[in-house]
Amino acid sequence: MRRVRKVCWTLHREIGFLVVGLTIVYAVSGIAVNHAHHWDANYERVAAPSAIAPPGAGPTAEVEPLVLERLGLSRAQVKTTWRASPEVLEVFQEGSTWEVNLVTGQAVHRTARPRPVLFDLNFMHLNTGKGPWTVVADLYAGLLIVLALTGPLLVRGRKGLAGRGGVMLAVGIVLPLAYAVVMRLAH
Amino acid sequence: MRIIASLVLASMLLAGVALAGGATKTYGKGVAAADTVRVSALLANPDKWVGQTIRVQGKAVDVCKNRGCWLNLASDVEGQTVRVKVTDGEITFPPGILGDMVIAEGVWTANKLDLETTKKMCEAQAKQDGKKFNADEVTSCKTLYQLTGTGAVATKN
Repeated sequence: MRRVRKVCWTLHREIGFLVVGLTIVYAVSGIAVNHAHHWDANYERVAAPSAIAPPGAGPTAEVEPLVLERLGLSRAQVKTTWRASPEVLEVFQEGSTWEVNLVTGQAVHRTARPRPVLFDLNFMHLNTGKGPWTVVADLYAGLLIVLALTGPLLVRGRKGLAGRGGVMLAVGIVLPLAYAVVMRLAH
Repeated sequence: MRIIASLVLASMLLAGVALAGGATKTYGKGVAAADTVRVSALLANPDKWVGQTIRVQGKAVDVCKNRGCWLNLASDVEGQTVRVKVTDGEITFPPGILGDMVIAEGVWTANKLDLETTKKMCEAQAKQDGKKFNADEVTSCKTLYQLTGTGAVATKN
């Protein structure tokens, strides 16, 4: 048993150092995406209203050049345009969109900027890029299992499995089990 | 020390691979179906296509703001759009896709909404459009047609 405990100590210590960075990535992003229904965890959105001289609700081919000119945009700066309705022309640029009311001349410039750091953390956590990161994420998950299995064996006595540690272990197992049972019954 | 240096190097290589990309981006399983159905033809007779795997093409003109879980593609007829809905988390459309030419593939589905859900949907749409909403004016149920998308390819214009 002493030899097993020694191996556990070594594994827990070495892996513990290795996964600090990844754990922070997954934990911080976890909190952010848990609340995805409250906020956009990835992008910071800004809507800036302005106004141009109304070009009128004529045919798209006629009003589009006027809109671009009055917004101060060259054709090269624009990805594409779309006539959303008889009164509205949308102009798409890289990373932003103009919504122009052709009748009133009111324009809204909407931009979506990736949130500093958080965008990258979410990209990793949600494995949006797939490919090689899948291997890293799988390895990390495996290492967490090793940490979970070696942790309870590190301490003996009252603070170990036979004492308070055992109670904590039971709480951590019962919590997800109870939730799973309740969810099954509710659905 | 050599192990740490190797780990740092491997991380940098991984980041390089992740950052490599081009003007065309594939989402989910991409596209494979033979023919593209024109959005106007699809919307002119939507029930005809229900249950079929089809491919549609159009400019991306709106995208889900919270989870990137849907995309509206412009029709070949002005003002018309078709929605491509994907499973949350499986495919995420970024805001930067707006204005790109997108080909999306999936199963064309019809969801018959009850009156209460229809009213809620109309209310949400009115709120998004900044228009007034009166629930009493909604008297009939709607059928929501959309492409349940399995993949897409976006090309920058």
